[in-house]
Formats: sequence, structure tokens, C-alpha cells
Amino acid sequence: MTAPDPLTWRMPPRWVLLVGVLSIVCAEVAGASMARFKLELARWARGAMLTHPTIHGLVGVRDVDERILDEALVKFDAGLRLFHMHAEGMGLVVIATATVAATLAGPGAARRAIVGLLTIGGAGYPVGYLVWSALIPSQGLERAKTIAEWLVWIPFGSAAIVALWWLAALVAWRIWRP
Amino acid sequence: MSGPVRRPPLVVVLIAVVVIALGETAGAAMSRLRPQIERYAAARVAANAGVHGLSGSAEYDDDVRDRAIFTAEAGLSFFHLHAEGLGLVLFFASTLVASAVPGRTMRGALYVLLTLGGLFPLGYLAYGAAVLEVGRDTGVELAERSILTPLGLAAIAGLLGLVLGLARRRA
Repeated sequence: MTAPDPLTWRMPPRWVLLVGVLSIVCAEVAGASMARFKLELARWARGAMLTHPTIHGLVGVRDVDERILDEALVKFDAGLRLFHMHAEGMGLVVIATATVAATLAGPGAARRAIVGLLTIGGAGYPVGYLVWSALIPSQGLERAKTIAEWLVWIPFGSAAIVALWWLAALVAWRIWRP
Repeated sequence: MSGPVRRPPLVVVLIAVVVIALGETAGAAMSRLRPQIERYAAARVAANAGVHGLSGSAEYDDDVRDRAIFTAEAGLSFFHLHAEGLGLVLFFASTLVASAVPGRTMRGALYVLLTLGGLFPLGYLAYGAAVLEVGRDTGVELAERSILTPLGLAAIAGLLGLVLGLARRRA
């Protein structure tokens, strides 16, 4: 058996590639669904908001309520768009950065931790936008945002950021001490 | 023809990872520190009242301040978006250069161009800061002329060079 060439990329574990590709697939499907089911989604969100008038501060005056509903629908739509965009990007980020970690980090706990944090953080973070959108009709704008923030964005986003800077430090170390 | 997927020099890999990490961190900062960023931007506009043309009339000044803050925040938002994208472009394009472009000199030149192009998003950080320090129009023009245009051209030249390198290998 020959030793691996140090100048070639090593593949990250298969489950990491699977998660990265799945994230991209979900983003594509979400993009297509947003275009195909735009009306249905808006109708569902509007209907759900009307069943929670106090949460949205609806007062029964058409002029006032329509403005509130429009604003919430814009945010609902923005959440879906942001999921589409972030899931596409983060899928690629997971594949690229896990490849760097698999190649340049020595085998052991550090490599497993970096790859794990990159994959779970990177693929989990965009889901926060779906959670935000899904919760807007029942929880209202601010509460939906707070839930998504503490449940998804902060834990998963922090994991991805910590792993990326850890990886950057590791690559810098490899340059400094080849 | 298939073959091993080679990696680019570590300096190029480091810059790609750092640019992506900066993009992620900027996104988190934009979300968590929005009020602080707005306050800082407003303070810088007030400190540079002359270049922003503040007149002392509250209504007019509020409008000028809001537009400057909006433009500075747009700079940060563009930085987040472009850093994520161009970090990946640098990673994948330089891997293609390492794997498929013949000639050490050509590869070296393409690494330099692509790496400079990978730094393009930093222009948007400068854009946001320049807007606050030297005024909206002057700041935008300064960032575009001195950073965004040269680095953007480097990215385009690097990618075109990669296309030529791939075509040459095929021929």
C-alpha cells in the first residue's frame, strides 16, 4: 500500500458529504417550492395569522390589520428565501471545509471535532430560517425570531464559526510548522 | 482524463478558509449586534458632520444620517454574502488549478490572481467604513476605485486564466 500523496485532497467521511449534498438538495427543493407554491404558502400563513389575532396585534380594522399582515408575510417569505440561500451556500461550505480538515488535521479527536462541528453547525444553521418562517404565523414576528435564534441560530451558528476559526488556526499552524 | 484531485498551496487554502470564516462571523455580528453597529455608525456620521453635509436642520440631518447608516450596513451585508461565495470560489478554482492546469509558472500566476480575487469581499468592509468616514458618495467611489475594481478584475482574470489553462490541457 502506498502512502497518500500530501499534495492531494483527502475525502471527508461519507456521512459529511451526504449531509452537505442533502443541504443543497433541500435548498433547491425549497427554492422550487417557493416559486411553485407561492400563493398556497401565503394563503396558509395568512390563514394561520388570522387565527392568532392577539399575537399579531390585529384590531379588526381592515386598514391597520392589512398592514400588519403584509409585514408578517414579507418576513415569512424572507425566512424561506434565506433558508434557500443559506442551505445552498452552507452545503458547499461543509463539503469544502470538511475536505480541508480531513486533509490537513492529523487523525484523532481534533479532526473529528472540527469535522463534526463544521457539518452539524453548517447544515443545522439554515434550518433556523425555516423554523423562523414556520413559527411566524403562530408566535408572531419577535417571538418566532427569538425561538429560532436560541434554538438554532446561536448554537449551530456558533459551532460553525468556532470550527471555521479552529480550522484556520490549524492551516496557519501547518504553514508555520510544516 | 481523470486523476488525483490535488490541493493548492496552503497559503491559498488558509486565505479561502479565513475569508469564509470572516463571512460567517460578519453574518453573526450583523444579526446579534445590529443596534450596536447602528449606534457606532450614527456616532461616526456625527463625528464627520462636515463630510456628510450635516446642516443642523434635524429633519434634513436625520435623512442624511439614515442613508449613510443604510449604505454602511449594506457594505457589511455585501461583505457577508461575497465572503461566503468567494471563499468557496477560491477553494474550488484553486483546486482546479492545482489539479488540471499545466505549467508551474501558469499555476503560480493563477494562484496569485485568484487569491487577490478572493480578497475582493474585504472591499465591502472598506466600503462600509469609508462611507462613514469620508461621506456616502465619496466613500462608495473610493472603495470601488481603489479596492473593489482591482480585486474584482483579478478574480475575473484568474477565472479566465483557469478556463484557458483547462482548454490548453484538453488540446
